[in-house]
Amino acid sequence: MHIDERHVADVTILHLAGRLELEEGDLVLRDKVNDLVAKGRVKLILDLKDVTRLDSAGIGMLVSKYLSARQRGGSIKLVHLTRHSDHLLDITRLATVFEIFEDEADALKSFGVEAGA
Amino acid sequence: MTDSAQSSRRVLLVDDDRALRYALTTLLTEAGHYVESVGDGPDALARLRDDTFDIVLLDIGLPSMSGLDVLATARARPTPPVVIMMTADDTPETLLQSVRGQAYRYLRKPFPPREIVDVVNDAVGPGAALSIEVVSARPEWLELVAPCTLEMADRIQSFVMHLDAKLPEDVREAVAQAFRELLTNAIEWGGKLDPSRKVRISCVRAKRMLFYRIADPGKGFDIDGLRHAAISNPDGDPIRHLLVREEQGLRPGGFGLAMTRSLVDELIYNEARNEVVFVKYLD
Repeated sequence: MHIDERHVADVTILHLAGRLELEEGDLVLRDKVNDLVAKGRVKLILDLKDVTRLDSAGIGMLVSKYLSARQRGGSIKLVHLTRHSDHLLDITRLATVFEIFEDEADALKSFGVEAGA
Repeated sequence: MTDSAQSSRRVLLVDDDRALRYALTTLLTEAGHYVESVGDGPDALARLRDDTFDIVLLDIGLPSMSGLDVLATARARPTPPVVIMMTADDTPETLLQSVRGQAYRYLRKPFPPREIVDVVNDAVGPGAALSIEVVSARPEWLELVAPCTLEMADRIQSFVMHLDAKLPEDVREAVAQAFRELLTNAIEWGGKLDPSRKVRISCVRAKRMLFYRIADPGKGFDIDGLRHAAISNPDGDPIRHLLVREEQGLRPGGFGLAMTRSLVDELIYNEARNEVVFVKYLD
């Protein structure tokens, strides 16, 4: 799992690439989000376009970190889900938990930030 | 594993495609490995006789000698290298001969450059030396017995999903996900991630259905006691079980059974619940 990080105003965008599975990406994501939340960066957008595989542990970590961000007054929103990832969130009923966007600009706007900020 | 200083290994690359040899040598050298390359089987065997390599990247369709024969000779050495097969041949028989010959992984050409680096890095781990016992290697009936490690789950899934490569994409994705979830459960909870314990996997391909059976060495479980799994959540609260998992000190997760139930047509446990069967119908 490789994570690229960039910032638009107070929103952090994490681009995830590779496998988000048990002991293969889940801990990398945990450490990255924990680090950001500890620094007060609690408004996060996760770009899942290049996540090649996702399993129960990976989904569990997404939810766990979503709850961490929420507890600190922020949130984690998801963009660019692959068709398969979208299906998995649907059948686990997590599409009702996460805010999911097809476009990064829309995700930023939901945080009150314009894409060009 | 990403620390190239720790994971640097001696790699012998065997392929008659000069351009591919150059490209892979460059990639793997940049990843921190020492790479030698040869273009045919006899040269590969000569290098293996004269020197020691940790990993062999081996094309199957070599000009003067099949890569499968090189695999057999390489694996028969006193300290056999880990062998990763590469091929454009997508017949099940070729894959199954590779499994029977104790190939570590099987990569179908063309593959993304990053994949070869990841697989070579994985092959450096201690689990790479573990063997898979092949009970049956027919395309219609694959049956394997393997140590309970997560690396083994990756290897087995890679082999099984190559057999399913010609299925429609939605079926293949559903089966791959269900297989992954149930195999990981068997290895993690039933086998306690203990390589001395074994998981038994059967994959049966009939004309109209796929049948998978996974038997783990654990005592099984009580499905009514799975408060830490998403299948126990009440309607309208899809993440309640995560609070239970946190209280119990379990890692985040617990969605595997809920996902699998939705992805396959039949999901059946034995009485103890240490063996599970799932079926996907093809029509």
